[in-house]
Amino acid sequence: MSEPVLSLENVSAGYGQADVIREITLEVHPGEIVTLLGPNGAGKTTTLRVVSGLLKPSRGTVRYQGHDVAHLSPTRRARAGIAHVPEGRGIFFGLTVAEHLRLGYRGETIDPEAVYTYFPALRQLRDRPAGLLSGGEQQMLAVARNLARSPDLLLLDELSLGLAPLLVERLLPVVHDYARERSCGVLLVEQHVPLALQVADRCYVLSHGDLVLHEPAARVRDNPELLVASYLGQSSTTKALAT
Amino acid sequence: MSPALQAAGVSVSFGAVRALQDVDLEVGEGKLVGLIGPNGAGKTTFVDAITGFVQASGSVRLEGREISALPPHRRAHLGLARTWQTIELFDDLTVRENLAVAGGRPSLPESFAEIVFGRQPRAERLAEEVLGLLDLEDIAEELPSNLSQGRRKLVGIARALASKPSLLLLDEPAAGLDTHESLDLGRRLRRLVDGGLPTLLIDHDMGLVLGICDEIYVLDFGKLIARGSPEEVRSNPDVLAAYLGTSAAEVEPDAPGTGTAWAAVAEGTAEQ
Amino acid sequence: MASQIFAYAILGLGSGALIAGTGLGVVLSYRGSGVINLSTGAVAMLSGYCYWALATGEFGVTFPTAWAVVLTLLFSVVVGLAFELGVVRPLRRQPPLAKLVATLGVLLSAQAAIVLAFGNTAHPQPSILPSGVVTLFGVTIPDYNLWMAAIVLAAALLFAAAYRWTRFGIGTRAASENEGYATLYGLSPNRYSMGNTVLMALAMGLVGLLAASIDEVDPITLILLIVPGLAAAMFGRLTGFTTTYVAGVVIGMAESILIYLGGQSWFPTSNGGPLPGIDELLVLLVLIVATFFRAGKIPSRGAIIERRLPRAPRPVAPLRTAAFFVPIAALAMWALPFGFREGLVTSCIFAVSLLSLVVITGYLGQLSLVQLGLAGVAGFLVSHLSTNFGIGFPWAPIIGVLAAAALGVGFGFPALRVRGVQLAVVTLAATVALATFWFSNGSWGAGVLGAPVPPPSLFGFNFGTNASFHGLGGGEPSPLFGWFCLIVLTVVGLLVANLRRSRLGQQMLAVRANERAAAASGVNVRNVKLTGFGIAAGIAGVSGVLLSYSYGSITPKSFSALTAIALVAFVYITGITSVPGGIFGGIIYTGGIFAYALLDWFGLQGNWLNLAVGFLVVLSLVSRPEGGATFLFYGKRPSLWPRASKEPQEGLPAGGAETGGGGQTDGSLRPQHVGVEVTS
Repeated sequence: MSEPVLSLENVSAGYGQADVIREITLEVHPGEIVTLLGPNGAGKTTTLRVVSGLLKPSRGTVRYQGHDVAHLSPTRRARAGIAHVPEGRGIFFGLTVAEHLRLGYRGETIDPEAVYTYFPALRQLRDRPAGLLSGGEQQMLAVARNLARSPDLLLLDELSLGLAPLLVERLLPVVHDYARERSCGVLLVEQHVPLALQVADRCYVLSHGDLVLHEPAARVRDNPELLVASYLGQSSTTKALAT
Repeated sequence: MSPALQAAGVSVSFGAVRALQDVDLEVGEGKLVGLIGPNGAGKTTFVDAITGFVQASGSVRLEGREISALPPHRRAHLGLARTWQTIELFDDLTVRENLAVAGGRPSLPESFAEIVFGRQPRAERLAEEVLGLLDLEDIAEELPSNLSQGRRKLVGIARALASKPSLLLLDEPAAGLDTHESLDLGRRLRRLVDGGLPTLLIDHDMGLVLGICDEIYVLDFGKLIARGSPEEVRSNPDVLAAYLGTSAAEVEPDAPGTGTAWAAVAEGTAEQ
Repeated sequence: MASQIFAYAILGLGSGALIAGTGLGVVLSYRGSGVINLSTGAVAMLSGYCYWALATGEFGVTFPTAWAVVLTLLFSVVVGLAFELGVVRPLRRQPPLAKLVATLGVLLSAQAAIVLAFGNTAHPQPSILPSGVVTLFGVTIPDYNLWMAAIVLAAALLFAAAYRWTRFGIGTRAASENEGYATLYGLSPNRYSMGNTVLMALAMGLVGLLAASIDEVDPITLILLIVPGLAAAMFGRLTGFTTTYVAGVVIGMAESILIYLGGQSWFPTSNGGPLPGIDELLVLLVLIVATFFRAGKIPSRGAIIERRLPRAPRPVAPLRTAAFFVPIAALAMWALPFGFREGLVTSCIFAVSLLSLVVITGYLGQLSLVQLGLAGVAGFLVSHLSTNFGIGFPWAPIIGVLAAAALGVGFGFPALRVRGVQLAVVTLAATVALATFWFSNGSWGAGVLGAPVPPPSLFGFNFGTNASFHGLGGGEPSPLFGWFCLIVLTVVGLLVANLRRSRLGQQMLAVRANERAAAASGVNVRNVKLTGFGIAAGIAGVSGVLLSYSYGSITPKSFSALTAIALVAFVYITGITSVPGGIFGGIIYTGGIFAYALLDWFGLQGNWLNLAVGFLVVLSLVSRPEGGATFLFYGKRPSLWPRASKEPQEGLPAGGAETGGGGQTDGSLRPQHVGVEVTS
């Protein structure tokens, strides 16, 4: 198997003195979609923030394309090919769609045509400020803008938040195709479990900051009770009572 | 006797978005009521509406008294106490001072005596009791920033309790806690409610909510989609669909077993 | 008459352009780095001096105008770079209030540097603009007015276009909307901040050059352009270049029209001249209107803030501390030579003044620059009641202090609506307006000469500066007056220390930390704030009373905007959140005992102190935000410090649900999250 594009080794991180995630170890390979599931508050967003550098881990190592990225700022990581679509969609309400596509760091140019190919609907909305787009259109813009950067690792946080599942169903296949064609690793955090499992290859489940499950997505898809247990807290509470 | 909290037809809009639509909810005397729902369902907005932090329509009655026109601090005076998802302690005050702020308002002569003669504000007995109840005595003089997440959460609850509330609203008290802390929190909550404090509990830890609540309401996209006992809610297909984003056909509700651990906890504490 | 007004309006284009230019500088700073930059006027002044020095041969070489212009603009760029690297960059994670205070420090340093280098006098300089005239409606108007308006308009349009169409501008807008998101795109907020600071400096360089046509260069006029400049920028919501330009030019034209109206027979007069201070009132009015009707829509910056106001430690045993220090000070009053004694008296008085800032900023979290103005109100009332109505000690001071407190509560009302940084801006304008409209007014203020204040005496016992008891050191002020000031300071210090320990003080800190949580805990935020404003204003009034007694006369100069700014800068160095901080601020304050010692022992003028303060403010904000004295008194307890990482990163909404990290969550963010239409 190819070298992982992303690997977390025993990573703990949090805010202040309390760790929100503890001893997380996971890998994402090129061209692979990995989904990170778990109830709210389990530490999924925190994990993504550690990867993109918005949060420094208290322990453990984050490797991107084999290199320890501890010393790289979020800006440098982004330039190295990590694209992070955060929960709030990560777009700028004051900028129009076209301006989003002109935005770039020194030396970076975005091909607007590539973006409009992913989501043709955006072409008509070119001159509209992102703040006036509908939620679905905003999400489209966020995903398209980040795909157009040709990232090697794509982090997606809660695409479905506040959206009808139908909209996300249209977004995820685009992500899936991109990942396969361009060998981009995708780490997908998603509340809408079936959607996530539909596109994902593998699945990790976080509960209270611990990794409690790591299975091929297909297996979880076929055995939903694996999930229900960790979502409804049964496994963790019984464990706790036993000790 | 009127219920501790009676919310009827509560709606909240942010611009064109209806964050809450016609929510009816009741917390009876001595009851622990859970409010659950997926992320973004409007749970915190509901607490904000009840406590007066967002503009809401509809009626909110606290022990029979209509409070929906009152500003937040007046609602607090009438016995409404809440915690915050993000804890929101007063970072510049010690734990004891945090409780003191909620504990009571100094009268003019009292303030005068404290400032002019340097009289120390007397320690509120209630605050001391609350510190004892939640095992926080040893950190009473600490600043909140020195505490672990779990302790900070407890201080948030302690501060709410220090105002001698007639209704407690807890917004995600277990988020960010580890399994053990969450379990511990559940025991304490149940004990509080059994001591006579009606409580509305919002949390994502389904184990916690299903395990200790008397009744549960479920929100999705700003609307109530279910209401019932933990057993009813657990086996309600709409709830599973909302939570896992799946339809009932795909997931067999795993009724037996789930939450029994919590039921045991609840019984255990009730016996004490 | 209408045509005359029109002509005067055109005559105001020149100064309007300068105001507009200063406003543009404020906008550039705000968009580039989120700093409300009160030192833009000071940057213009530095450039103005640079041009003057080059064009008049101050340094031995006289440059032709064109060369002097180019070199001055280059100099502005250097100033901009220094400002970025020395102030903006080190403070980028600091709260807006700290950044604003740092720019106050820069203003102070720049002014002190110029005074030290070139003295206080104004210097004439060649204009860079053609010197023709046009005659409009019988009024001869110099051409340069039109040129200036046109040049600054071109600059405004250029900036607006650059923000609209260039990648740099788009990037700046993105980074200022959400710094965190910008980094996720690989953009570098630092780079945009740098670019905009340099643009700001260039714009201010231009203002400095253009000003050569109107004024001689002096160390104050351009600095104070910041007040109307801010008013214009606030009208542009700190973001719009063209709105800011228009607002600035209109303010300039209105001021010019006021000059015309001042010549009319019906215009209110004072001592034979037109009533002073109407300009400043107008600017204040514009600011208030802008703050109330426009500021709500100022886009708040999605910056990553690590720290807020420093902690306000709880005094352990204030009485014991006082019992140790007060006798030493009392002995010093008696024993010291009169120069040192005078310094000590001044220190005591300003310490009282700074304690007012400790209450309002340190405890309540509101930065008010009007405290000194309130002190002036009390001081001038004492003067008037004594000289005009024969009301002396103690009634005049009591009335003065109460009036200051009442006015303070009055200022508290708008403060309920405007946020911290905007309050600083409005109160700065209020200070300027009070000083010119009230204190300088010949009829109900002091005119320029000062108003007499009879010495305080009780039952025939004089304890004013001229009391006959002269102590060991001899000379005036009398140690009796020194002891009086010391007693007042001790009482006020103890009250402020007790306030921190009282429940009202706890409520203030609760409000400061988190208004929403305070309200949810039953704190009546409005009342607590108003009470705090009243207490702080009362304390300020006390200092004003002492100040009026200390010189036997009271002058508007003691209550200038620069003094108000210096006070804030000094107390930030020693500690804005504690009583020792306030008192030590008084000790090191210019004119106080420390400054006198520097003068006496090393021959260093007070301006050297001011020069240092700018640097010290930045240094202390970065390394010891609680202030030196607070640190000394309450010890090194790093564990008491909120950890940097504890604050959720404001710009990133992810902070809410999963982080669970406490601290400030901007309530206004919430509607923004969900304020997104959901369509399917």
